[in-house]
Amino acid sequence: MNSRPSPTEEVKRLYEEAESRTAKAMEGLVARDSFGELLAKVTENVMSLTKIGNEAMDMAVRNLRVAGRQDIVRLGRQLARTEDKLELVLQEVEQLQDQLRASQDGDPSSDATGSKAPARKTARSSQ
Amino acid sequence: MNALEQLTRAPLAAIEFSNILLTQGDAEIGVSPKDVVWTHRATTLYRYRSNQRTHPVPVLLVFALINRPDIFDLRRGNSFVEFLLDEGFDVFLLDWGVSEEEGSDIGLDTYVLDYLHSGIRETLRTAEQEEVSLVGWCIGGALSAMYGALEPSGPVRNMVLLTTPLDTKGSLYASWVARDSFDVDQVADVMPVIPGASIDALNKMMKPVTNYWTTYRRLWEQVLEGSAKREAYQAMAKWVNDNPPFVGRAYREWITSMYKRNELVRNRMRLRGRRVDLTKIEQNLLVVTAGADHIAPREGTLPLLDLVSSEDVTHLDKVGGHIGLMAGSRARKETWPDIADWLRARSDR
Repeated sequence: MNSRPSPTEEVKRLYEEAESRTAKAMEGLVARDSFGELLAKVTENVMSLTKIGNEAMDMAVRNLRVAGRQDIVRLGRQLARTEDKLELVLQEVEQLQDQLRASQDGDPSSDATGSKAPARKTARSSQ
Repeated sequence: MNALEQLTRAPLAAIEFSNILLTQGDAEIGVSPKDVVWTHRATTLYRYRSNQRTHPVPVLLVFALINRPDIFDLRRGNSFVEFLLDEGFDVFLLDWGVSEEEGSDIGLDTYVLDYLHSGIRETLRTAEQEEVSLVGWCIGGALSAMYGALEPSGPVRNMVLLTTPLDTKGSLYASWVARDSFDVDQVADVMPVIPGASIDALNKMMKPVTNYWTTYRRLWEQVLEGSAKREAYQAMAKWVNDNPPFVGRAYREWITSMYKRNELVRNRMRLRGRRVDLTKIEQNLLVVTAGADHIAPREGTLPLLDLVSSEDVTHLDKVGGHIGLMAGSRARKETWPDIADWLRARSDR
């Protein structure tokens, strides 16, 4: 006997079909050139407003003679640069330690990675 | 379930549904035990604890810049990291961390030539090995490919690229951000770090109904039927909504090089003056694509297969989406074993 779908199942099926079609239509919409153009313009407007807002806020804070966001960021950046330099020094020290250990062990094949010289050697990246 | 039963269950289901959404932030993700090996600025290198490391070549996982790398270790029982550890691999993870404005001077060159380079160096030192397998996913895959091209004779023996965007021509994202009227310089100038939520919103906009409505409608139905997988949903939802900001300089370079000029696949990208020539990639290469990937469509990854000089190239094309490929319910049976098999055959001395 052919079992007919219940009204609830039928409603569900129709709903899912409608949702699926809407999803496809929306995907088609966002893929349109005009949507891309709209997105670009909205982004430009939001960025312009954000810039005006940021500048006004920063000016207000600076006039109160307290450190503003930019000042704190500048300080954070200085710390980050110091950390960069420390990292370079640390890597140099590690390399020297490895070379020293290698020369003490009389093993010329040991390399900067602290292990035996690899077939493919890591090249130090330049800053 | 008939209409009357649904109506009766609805109040309880509504409470359960809202509870799942409201408490998703408490879900535990990325919980496999690990140790910090190295840190620099926001970047951290982790090594996962294991007492059954059998393959000498360590595996270094590298994820994208726009989501957290916890997806590699989503939850107990559904963790790629856990799977690799069980398979006897020595697993490391390079976590880019969450950069704030003081890190706005970080560019793609910093990620590739400093952080990834140092991450590999520290991985080798810690594992006391000479070579490493690099597993990059999404933008992490593109950064890995850049590194592989710049250091073809470096210590990377194997490279696994998962749903990696390389050729962006014709992609939906390119149709939005590659146009002249999208002023990426203005965005990066105004915002030293681009809020993660706005990057996420743009990604979700690619499939607006699916991301903003269907996901919740399905959850509601599952709750109503009593079949909702609370832990799985919450873990994934928490990860999806955890979006670190995209550093302004890196964002500008990523959009300009990858989308506006499509330089990487044309071998015209330069990092610190060095040309990123994909034909220089010589490492053993596994490329995994997903048939339903709308973020990094398969067509955008496949050109790599013809470009590289590697003698050992494997391509796996899987069912699934950009994330579902590796973190979906089928990943454990259909994707992870293939990756582990490929790595296993190339991870011994």
